[in-house]
Amino acid sequence: MMSMDELERAICDLPLEEPPAGMRASILLATAYRPAPAFSFLDLAALGAMGAIALWMVVLLVLGGGSLFVHTLETIGATLSRALSNGATLAWLAAGGATALWLTLFTGSQPIALAPHRSERRTGR
Amino acid sequence: MRAEPEDGELVARTLRGDSEAFATLVERYDRAVYHLSYRTLHDVEEARDATQEAFFKAFRSLRTFKPGSKFSTWIFAIAYHACCDRLNRRKRYAGDELPDRADPAPGPEHQVIALDEASRLRAAIEALPEKYRTVVTLFHLQGRQYDEIATVLGLPMGTVKTHLFRAKEQLRRLLGGMEVTE
Repeated sequence: MMSMDELERAICDLPLEEPPAGMRASILLATAYRPAPAFSFLDLAALGAMGAIALWMVVLLVLGGGSLFVHTLETIGATLSRALSNGATLAWLAAGGATALWLTLFTGSQPIALAPHRSERRTGR
Repeated sequence: MRAEPEDGELVARTLRGDSEAFATLVERYDRAVYHLSYRTLHDVEEARDATQEAFFKAFRSLRTFKPGSKFSTWIFAIAYHACCDRLNRRKRYAGDELPDRADPAPGPEHQVIALDEASRLRAAIEALPEKYRTVVTLFHLQGRQYDEIATVLGLPMGTVKTHLFRAKEQLRRLLGGMEVTE
């Protein structure tokens, strides 16, 4: 009968299974060589917001003509200037901006990583 | 001659945006990960999918990889759990065998046919119960690093050593042409 050492050597000398053709290429295409998206999340959010505002303005123009459009813009401008001249509002805005800036120091521009796999959680890795 | 970069360095480079570094990691480990997946799942297509899934998950969560730990252990653990998920799904639909953690029953005991030595050994490993087969497969991939095998499987190191000892005993008996009883 084969000794334990001989058996261990035989196991370690076994050649690995040959993976199917094209497997490596498909892994690389899904990971390292994945084409970068044309727009980032922030780009898409900004484009969406601008599109929504443009649509809203078109609806205002179509429904109420030029006077409603001008009146709406004046109302928005007046509300914004009132809010920004308020000291408390400015203080809250500054606090929010500072917090966001502080958080970016920790996360940088990297996407937030996924939660660790349960195997890593269990072993504390 | 330039030395091959360490896995940890390749991970760090990938995190800095160097896609070639991750490609090197894939080239280094795709065959071993596929081997583990195939030995666990016994299906070429599923093993291929599990391997792809493992690398995809690793790529997306690379920031959770701890510097100083072994990339091979990490990717094997991800692949092993991807395989377990697939086996669980299979079991749900077909009552299939579950590996290791949930499988106290011995697997099929095929007659080890007399082929060349490597084929006989492969056939003997195939004949092992799932929990022993996985430990032997990881022993093949990781050598005597029992702590790494334990990390991949999420088992205590003592259990890994016991499984491996019993697996080797069964292999010796199978290769010696004796009946296995457990």
